[in-house]
Amino acid sequence: MRRRHFIGALATAGAAGALGGIPGWPVHASETGGAAKATLADAPSVESLPSLEGKLTLYLGTGEGGLYENVLKAIEKRNPGLELGIRRGPTAALANAIVAEGQAGVRRADVFWAVDSGAIGLVNEAGLAQPLPGDLTGLLDPVFRYERWAPITGRVRSVPFHTGRFSAKDVPTDIMALPESGLRLGWAPAYAAFQSFVTAMRLLEGEERTAAWLQAMARNARGYAGELGVVMGVERGEVDAGLANHYYTLRLKAGKPDAAVDMAFTRGDAGCLVNASGVLAVNEGELAVNFIRYLLTREVQSYLAREAAEIPLVHGVAPPDGLPPLSSLSPPELDLTRLADLRPTLDLMRDAGVL
Amino acid sequence: MHRSTERRSAPRRVLRLAAIFSFLAGGSALADGVVGEHVNDLQAHLDEYTTEVNWLIEQVDGIVDAYEAGGLSAARPEAVNDHWEAVDFHSAIETNYVPLYAGIWQGLYGVRQAIEKEQPVDAVRAEQVKLEQTLWQALGAVKVAAQFQQRGLVPAVAHTEAATPMETIDIIKRELERVVAKYAEQLPDEANTIVQETYLNRFEGIEGMLIEQDADLVVDLELDFNVTLPKSMQDGASVDEVSGVVEAMHVKLDRARGLLEEAEANRADVF
Repeated sequence: MRRRHFIGALATAGAAGALGGIPGWPVHASETGGAAKATLADAPSVESLPSLEGKLTLYLGTGEGGLYENVLKAIEKRNPGLELGIRRGPTAALANAIVAEGQAGVRRADVFWAVDSGAIGLVNEAGLAQPLPGDLTGLLDPVFRYERWAPITGRVRSVPFHTGRFSAKDVPTDIMALPESGLRLGWAPAYAAFQSFVTAMRLLEGEERTAAWLQAMARNARGYAGELGVVMGVERGEVDAGLANHYYTLRLKAGKPDAAVDMAFTRGDAGCLVNASGVLAVNEGELAVNFIRYLLTREVQSYLAREAAEIPLVHGVAPPDGLPPLSSLSPPELDLTRLADLRPTLDLMRDAGVL
Repeated sequence: MHRSTERRSAPRRVLRLAAIFSFLAGGSALADGVVGEHVNDLQAHLDEYTTEVNWLIEQVDGIVDAYEAGGLSAARPEAVNDHWEAVDFHSAIETNYVPLYAGIWQGLYGVRQAIEKEQPVDAVRAEQVKLEQTLWQALGAVKVAAQFQQRGLVPAVAHTEAATPMETIDIIKRELERVVAKYAEQLPDEANTIVQETYLNRFEGIEGMLIEQDADLVVDLELDFNVTLPKSMQDGASVDEVSGVVEAMHVKLDRARGLLEEAEANRADVF
């Protein structure tokens, strides 16, 4: 079942998903060993968690603008017995460092928190991630349960469009139809989130169709350096629509409430992929696991939804303001760690002349 | 800032033979190995920098003398770059005052190109004088920086990752100064790469927050990063013009810093 809709998912996970987050998407049964049948519990409060004591080294993949740092400071303040050492760096570089250290027989990192699930996949594939307990992964909506890592917050691919000239119904619901839609389009091929999206398309549609899509887009699309630039280009009317993660539109509208831009979503394909930041434990031990529990509390999830416009992935936490009803979305089913397989995507993009 | 070991090796041998700069060989380096730790203790190295500036002036004078005596083939004007790459004063001024650092490169190329174009000796000497003046000004700037450093008024020079959006802005400003430096070194591709990487790896991380504070400011900076600055280099603008674009960006980035600081101060607690 690759293409599916929320109604179908409800049958899998039960109606409990209606409380918030991304409700009821199907589970990766092979990863969870049947965890999909578990009842969803509301995310715990930080009040219910054990204190963190001892030394912990965190590798923090940066790129979210400093909000993760605020979370870490709050955890440290609440746990004076925690000696948290943080190594910061670009996510991909830290993932490579963990793998290199692992190959050398060293595990300096206890925990790796990355803005991008592809980097998590790289470490996981190297066999360096520890299994996480079921009561922890069980806090996540079923589709986001993995044995050896935990998604923290999500972001959904969207098609921002100019509201002065179009409505959502003018945007194709099939991402493959977008290049021939007649819309003037904007995109940011050099942007990491876009490349993850193309990876998803390659995995879902195959290389041939993806290459054709890229070539068709290249004939019609205007290039931008980043995806906020795409959204701003749409808002200025330079293009009719574009491709971008959802939070850029929300944040632009937060700063400019009358901005002439809104979001449409494709259905059941890479165009509405939900990607996630994620965390994994590199070293065994209760401290690392309990640290991860803090990231899945309703307080941290609410904070990241409110301040970063990211999508909470636990149960019982409201999504960011301005995100369309989640029940209308139908993202593709895809193991997010497979998005780490970026090299064939870059080759495809170069061959198509878009990089 | 990123001088490779390979680029430095040959001139280092020259210096060792001259027995002037034996102290250079033992200098420690930061983790990335590109800038010596001496830049974090300028005061202790002022005598060495002074010696280096005198030595550089002598080397350039020797090149011009050779040109005067034997013409282009005798002068080897390209050696001015090697001499400049060889001294620690290079990173001392580069990490403290980029406008003069860029001016030194302009001066070096002024002498070199005047010789390569086989201009009259007087014209070459005029370029040499401009270079010498800039070198002395730069030494003065490093002395002032050493005083600030001793009073704890400047942060240590190191490659660090930002822990706050404001620190990200500081890093962006430093990277933009490197753009000017690389452009002055006549490495426009490297300068352009720094612009692109700074945009994608740094500015992209904070612009979502910034747009909530001032959407027009983000529009301005987007244009600067993606059009104005790259285009000025692509069009072959002078170093001063590129420096002017960067200075204008600094002003906008300072405003962004203030807005982000205010937003952070007003942000609700996590717990």
